[in-house]
Amino acid sequence: MATPRGTDGSLLTSLPWTLGALAISVAPHVPYLPIWISAAFFGCAAWRYITEKRRAALPSVWLRGLLALACFLGVLATYSTISGVGPGSALLAVMASLKLLETRKRRDQFVLLFISIFLVMSSLLREQYLWSLPYMIASTIVIMTAWLRMSASQSETARQSFLTGGRLLLYAAPLAVAMWIFFPRLAVPFWAVPMDSGTATSGISDSMSPGDISKLSMSNAVAFRVKFYDDIPAPRDRYWRGLVLTVFNGRTWSMNDPYEGPRIHEKVSGRGDPIEYQVTLEPTHQPWIFALDMPWSWSLEKTFMGPQQQLAHARPIDQRIAYKAVSYLDYTTDVGLTDYARSWYQRIPDGSNPRTQALAKQMRSAAGSDKAYIEAVLSKFNQEEYFYTLEPPPLGSNSVDRFLFDTRRGFCEHYASAFAVMMRAANVPARIVLGYQGGEINPIGGHMIVRQSDAHAWNEIWLEGHGWYRIDPTAAVAPERIDYGASDTAREGLGEAWGLSAPSQLLHKLSLALDAVNARWNEWILGYGPDTQNRFMQWLGMHEPDWQKMMLTMIGLILGLIALISMLLVWRYRPPAKDPAAVLYRRFTKKAGLEPGIGETAQRFARRATQAGALPAHVIQSVTAAYHDARYGAADEPALARLRQAVNAIG
Amino acid sequence: MSSILWPFPKSLGLWSSLKAGAATRVQRWARKRQGSDPATTRLIPRRVYILPTGVGIVFGIMTFAMLLGSMNYNNNLSFVLTFILIGIGFVSMHQCQRNLVGLELTFAGTEPVFAGQTMRYCIAVTNHSKSARRGIRLYREGLQSDIHDLQPGESKVFILPAPTEQRGWISLDRFGIRTLFPFELFRSWAWLHMNISGLVYPRPAERPPEPPPTIAAHGHRQHDARGEEDFAGLRKYQEGDSPRHVAWKAYARSGQLLSKQFAGADTSSQWFDYDDIPVGNVEQRLSILTRWIIDADRTLEDYGLRLPGVEFVPAHGETHRRACLEALAVFETAEE
Repeated sequence: MATPRGTDGSLLTSLPWTLGALAISVAPHVPYLPIWISAAFFGCAAWRYITEKRRAALPSVWLRGLLALACFLGVLATYSTISGVGPGSALLAVMASLKLLETRKRRDQFVLLFISIFLVMSSLLREQYLWSLPYMIASTIVIMTAWLRMSASQSETARQSFLTGGRLLLYAAPLAVAMWIFFPRLAVPFWAVPMDSGTATSGISDSMSPGDISKLSMSNAVAFRVKFYDDIPAPRDRYWRGLVLTVFNGRTWSMNDPYEGPRIHEKVSGRGDPIEYQVTLEPTHQPWIFALDMPWSWSLEKTFMGPQQQLAHARPIDQRIAYKAVSYLDYTTDVGLTDYARSWYQRIPDGSNPRTQALAKQMRSAAGSDKAYIEAVLSKFNQEEYFYTLEPPPLGSNSVDRFLFDTRRGFCEHYASAFAVMMRAANVPARIVLGYQGGEINPIGGHMIVRQSDAHAWNEIWLEGHGWYRIDPTAAVAPERIDYGASDTAREGLGEAWGLSAPSQLLHKLSLALDAVNARWNEWILGYGPDTQNRFMQWLGMHEPDWQKMMLTMIGLILGLIALISMLLVWRYRPPAKDPAAVLYRRFTKKAGLEPGIGETAQRFARRATQAGALPAHVIQSVTAAYHDARYGAADEPALARLRQAVNAIG
Repeated sequence: MSSILWPFPKSLGLWSSLKAGAATRVQRWARKRQGSDPATTRLIPRRVYILPTGVGIVFGIMTFAMLLGSMNYNNNLSFVLTFILIGIGFVSMHQCQRNLVGLELTFAGTEPVFAGQTMRYCIAVTNHSKSARRGIRLYREGLQSDIHDLQPGESKVFILPAPTEQRGWISLDRFGIRTLFPFELFRSWAWLHMNISGLVYPRPAERPPEPPPTIAAHGHRQHDARGEEDFAGLRKYQEGDSPRHVAWKAYARSGQLLSKQFAGADTSSQWFDYDDIPVGNVEQRLSILTRWIIDADRTLEDYGLRLPGVEFVPAHGETHRRACLEALAVFETAEE
């Protein structure tokens, strides 16, 4: 049962392509794979190629079995599961490496190419950028070429295989497009998509400690894009409500336990014109849904509003999603507050931040009313020496005390936190809203970009007879943050500091153009779901589209396209065009009424035709002479014309 | 497992015997449908069949799994990949069939062989179209030719081997032409039923008895004035031949002692008579006669063959040899 292990160099024509196909499909995974898997893969690939070149032997079955077991355990130890995109692609990469060790025959390469197709697929499940499609098509061409190289004869060059692969891909493209457009999209998945444990969340998290948001503000990544159907709200109204923090432990603000905190839903009533818009949210791996303050209705299924008007999806947002929403910029909330809720929103840990608590009590009694007190606190921020900075000094455990009295430098989270503590210490119900503030209009795409750097924290306080009321203490310190947005403020500062104003402006315009393309791409290609498909079908003229109609259209299109491809192939394999001289000569023999024998020369036929008296002798002679010149002579064109004239003259 | 207990042929199992039965029936159907083919046959679409290969079935299952995955993740780019692969499947089906359609097959003859040797049927395949045909192969039960590509306008001879056991005419009732191009996802093939046959001479005897003695035929040929100088050919070594005349080079090649014959020397002739062979049955006698003829043909001696009812007067040369061997090959086989 000993299988031969030697290599004979017979794979040298196809192996480099197979290795290339594997490498191009592993490459997008490399940043996510543990380093030992990438190293093992590329090591095995290089080793396998050298082995084939030197016609060396492959490792024994025992060694391979041992390695397989070790690698499987290694993946299991790294991920502690084998389902999901991350562990799945790690396992595929490991399988490819191990399969390389036993690839001896031509057909073993089939397995490698199947693995590389799955690797391409899993890289698409992991991330979808603008370049993902061209990269995927390039990978497909390489895989197809490798596939053809496997069975190609010795005389076929790699270039020919590549061209054949490209040609077949070109034929398949219209079929793929038709299927892609008409294949009915499902609104709900069949089964739960396995969650990747250990995927880093991005964007706002569900608690806030000093430094959290200022860290976030370094990121230029897009949080979401918004398309407004009518007017775009003014910068000062662009508050994107996310989650609400109600619990303070002296340093960190966090959300309350849903079974512990206030559970009675506050009623919202809007005033003025509602604003309609569509948000395309980038994956956050968290459930929060962002909408303009205050959201009224939304199109997303399985999305619920919490008691404090925070929107959450039933499952973490692992993929880019689009939803429509309607908001009222001017609104009031329920004016009543239960005693339990009131005490909840007034709670601060005993003894924490004592200086702040003392200051609050003193200022409250000096102010006389809640309203006057709020104004006094805001003007303290505004008039005293407080600075808005992205790089605040570190704070200790009594962070609000340290900030208010010592460092006096901070970002929105410092101001929001300090303001809420000041309010609560004076028995004014207060909470913190996390979300985004601002948004940049992309003049090319017409949409608004909200970036991670727009992350913001503000306050809501409860006023008797009015309900919850939004107050943004950062605006008191740095009004330009609210009017122009965080990214603009930061960028201008940077540009001036580096003296790079003009080039950075150009760069910014370029990035806006790219963003516009990206937004369209996201909307129409990546976001082509049941809704978009439905709209597109209606635009195409389909009446009340449903999956049966789409399926039928798709099948019809496929059959039509296949008929076209079939005709194209018939044309490709057509017989070569007949020599025009031969065609004319054939007409001549027909007119003569004689059938030329097999192998009979024109001269001999002429003699026979003359003898038979089929046509006048001079006609036969001139046609034969012209035919000879046209067929075998150097001067092609005039002779052909002469032949045509002579044959036509027969009448 | 004992082969007696196992009721199915050659450990193939129920599935394989079912498959073999179905294949026979399908082939019979194709034969009836197509009729017999002339010596030059062009493949038209209706006689080119196609089915997915094992790889093709795996590929189909894989794309289906990918489709389910794409639907579940609602991932539009993986939908694109899946649909490209499905499209490639469709395209390669048509490409595979078109790779055969329009090819012209011509039986280009075969050389007679001795029983036990491999008969080589030569079949010329011509590509009359403007595009190359790739990965073409001819096959028959259990045997296949090499794989060749055919450039536009190119014609290549494919050699279909056939092992031989018995003398006589053997025919190639059916052979196939097939291709897996482009991706080995589909196999398309055509069956051809040409009137092809080849002649198998009897198996030459390994240790033949001494051939009958040579009868000198003096004055049969013109005496050459130059005496021994003019080399004319080789003859089997006989006792008394000068060692100077032994063809040592030929001996080194074949291990057979041959004497150089020179024009001017006397020629002689032998009669090989079927009835004179003292031993054996029909086949053994024919084997011995075959061996004698082969050996005699290597020399310059004329030889004659006498079979019951047929006689070939002593002569020499390729035509004579073929006539004699053919007579031996078909001896008493006519009624079969």
